[in-house]
Amino acid sequence: MERKVIATHSSRGGTGKTTLATNLAITYLNQGLNVALLDLDFRAPSMLSLFSKKIQMPVTKWLNDFMLGECELEDVLVDVAAGFGSDGKLLLGLANPSLEAIKSMTGRSRAWEVGAAKKLFSIRHTLFDRTDIDCCILDTSPGIHYSSINSVVSSDVTVIVSTLNPVDVAGVKNMLAEFYEEFEKRAVILINKTFPQTRFWPESKREELADKMEKVFGHTVIGVIPCYCDVLETNSGSFLVVEQPDHPFVKDLQEVAKKLETM
Amino acid sequence: MVQAEANKKSSDSLDVQALLAKLIEEVQQINQKLDKILSVQKDFVQTFEKTEWNKPNTLDPDMLSLMGLPSALRKTVIALYKLGNATAEELSSETKRLRAVESAAANQLVRIGFIGKKREGRKVYFYIK
Repeated sequence: MERKVIATHSSRGGTGKTTLATNLAITYLNQGLNVALLDLDFRAPSMLSLFSKKIQMPVTKWLNDFMLGECELEDVLVDVAAGFGSDGKLLLGLANPSLEAIKSMTGRSRAWEVGAAKKLFSIRHTLFDRTDIDCCILDTSPGIHYSSINSVVSSDVTVIVSTLNPVDVAGVKNMLAEFYEEFEKRAVILINKTFPQTRFWPESKREELADKMEKVFGHTVIGVIPCYCDVLETNSGSFLVVEQPDHPFVKDLQEVAKKLETM
Repeated sequence: MVQAEANKKSSDSLDVQALLAKLIEEVQQINQKLDKILSVQKDFVQTFEKTEWNKPNTLDPDMLSLMGLPSALRKTVIALYKLGNATAEELSSETKRLRAVESAAANQLVRIGFIGKKREGRKVYFYIK
């Protein structure tokens, strides 16, 4: 796989963006790649609770500190690969979930946002030039605001996760027209949480749906993943990719991972 | 006859004097008004210069501001974000556009205050401020 930065984005919360980012990172780790997974959703950080069982030492430095220029990126990254029985690397960069930290990251000046964008672009150099990371996944916050657009612009490809909900679809179409096309950013769409019955659809019917949605969005649809109740019910700290490697969700995700590798 | 002429001259002279006095008075009033206008304008300029929204940060190349730029210029700024300091040649390699195109775009961005420019030896580097 050519070294790349992949961002996950959505027009609003609850589409499965973080589930995709985390499981995608572990999928690549299982394939023998060294991966970095950064939680750039400073408004609603969730990675700490997701990975809490895998983190051995208390976290003292956060991505917030890096963005504020208070430490280097290397000081923030925690390697949790051993927790997944891998001798590779899965470097986690966590956002601080404390209310004070969330508040401090909002309402910053435009000049500060310029510095923040520079920091995000510098991540590529730090990871790819100074470490042996093959792939960096940025989990952004939903919608269009500084922290999400800085992440998207600094990435090589963005996976926009959308459901078939009309509000979601309209939001993604708007983001594509107002932002992605303006910045000529490479983006693909992942249709997630489709009607549960699509789970039993033959491949051809899913492809039909993907084609239809491609016409709606005017962008490549990289996959259609049905709504699996067991994914929604997965407890914090357990990952379907690890717990149930034969689960259809994991198979769908592996297809998405394969397609992203070639982009 | 002579007396009448003398009286008329004297009267004309008084009229001219009165007219001049009135003119001077009006010019003084105009001057006072101009001074007042200049004073108000000076206060306004000082206040404007102190106002936060008039600071040079209106020219910060943050991502939302870039959305208002023509795409040709935006592409150069994004390339500069990616490269850090870069010459027009390096920008050209990144954007796959001609060096002359990058040089023109970067210099235009310097003129509008979005990016900076510095010389190191024979090379000219552009950078995000």
